[in-house]
Amino acid sequence: MAPMEVDRADGRTSNQLRPLSCTRNVLHRAHGSARWSQGDTIVLAAVFGPKAGTKKEENPEKASIEVIWKPKTGLIGKVEKEYEMILKRTLQSVCLLTIHPNTTTSVIVQVVGDDGALLPCAINASCAALADAGIPLKYLAVAICCGLTGSRSVILDPTKIEEKKILAFAYLVFPNSPISVLPKGSLTEDSEPIEAGIITSVTHGAMPVVDYFNCLDRGYAACAKISEFLRRSMESQAPSDLTKTT
Amino acid sequence: MNSMPSDSASMSFVDRVVVPGDHVLDLTGMANQTIKLGAGLRQDGDAISVMKAGKLRISKPNKYWVESSHKRYVPCVEDTVLGIVVDSKFDNFLVDIKAPMLGLLPVLAFEGGTRRNIPKFEIGTLLYVRVVKANNTMNPELSCMDETGKAAEFGPLKDGYMFETSTGLARMLLSSPPCPILESLGKSLSYEIAIGLNGRVWVNAASPSTVILVSNAIMNSEFLSAAQQKIMVEKLMKRLQ
Repeated sequence: MAPMEVDRADGRTSNQLRPLSCTRNVLHRAHGSARWSQGDTIVLAAVFGPKAGTKKEENPEKASIEVIWKPKTGLIGKVEKEYEMILKRTLQSVCLLTIHPNTTTSVIVQVVGDDGALLPCAINASCAALADAGIPLKYLAVAICCGLTGSRSVILDPTKIEEKKILAFAYLVFPNSPISVLPKGSLTEDSEPIEAGIITSVTHGAMPVVDYFNCLDRGYAACAKISEFLRRSMESQAPSDLTKTT
Repeated sequence: MNSMPSDSASMSFVDRVVVPGDHVLDLTGMANQTIKLGAGLRQDGDAISVMKAGKLRISKPNKYWVESSHKRYVPCVEDTVLGIVVDSKFDNFLVDIKAPMLGLLPVLAFEGGTRRNIPKFEIGTLLYVRVVKANNTMNPELSCMDETGKAAEFGPLKDGYMFETSTGLARMLLSSPPCPILESLGKSLSYEIAIGLNGRVWVNAASPSTVILVSNAIMNSEFLSAAQQKIMVEKLMKRLQ
């Protein structure tokens, strides 16, 4: 079956992402901060911590992560609570929680602009902010939104208008692609390379299983590109070393 | 497919920016060697992987670490830091050193300290202390004495002005040979400075304008090269005259 090219309102192909931009260390008082934008969806994430003490329900043998989601307008409701829970579970699997037991790291997410794919943008911003704050991480999480149109083709990174017209969409979060001295495929779990694992998948609407796997493949390939972008953005913002001490 | 020789491959990541998740060292080819891991690295099965984003550094023959600059501090033994007293208990002062946990300063950890002459520090006192014990599960232990038991400049810092910076700037200020900004400021002004590896800097001078000038110059010098720092100080001195 030949892939059907979908006409998208802004002229993108079905595999094309909106322009990405990432700036770190934007907030003066926060210990780590990042501003991530995908087209008109802009999210500002701030990280405070680790600070001593955990809440009562949390396990004191591990660090705990607290997420606060602030919408652009309006009061905090069920949608925001759901986003907070998904973000918290995703970040818990990305951070190394046993390094600093009995501490709390707070992540505050502020929505600056919402034009579709809001949760993946927030996950990308939070990960960049955690890396900026120096929280120990296993790997970085890279997130993308894949939508399934009525004609059973997959579009990546839909805008808000496109989100209303499509049948179903999935937010997918993958670990970033690492550079490695190891030979390819040496780190395996059940004969699958670790990098092909998935951290989070949130779906809206109903889609056939075969289309879901199609979304996974496209999303994984696109996340490799976002991962490259994140790495380049970290390299360019690293401070140049002034004195070489041996 | 043959595995790449780990020596030449790991050298290719040294002095490069690495992000969390990168595997920088393969341990399968290094059966009987000891490797020392510093900040930002951890052992992940048969590979060493990165926890924090930064530049990978090596100190031959076998010490690896990731150099990065953050606003929070991870305590290490033998570091000198500036702490602020938060509370005093029966046998410890609780001191905030910008670390995940509060530091504990025993009331007897002063030169000639006995139960009869315990110093009275108010909440908010700035102290120059040394980290004696640091591991991630316990509160770090501090001391106002050096290893031989002498006071050696540790203790409360009176007057002056304290400001916070990143740990990277603090390391640059403490590098030897002395940092260009401190040298050029010292050529024309006289000031007293205490730098904590946790990103706190204290400056004292005879007049408040000198304190302000030195503090602002240091805060602005973080991302400047050596030549740019010297030029900035020359411009500031010209404006003073």
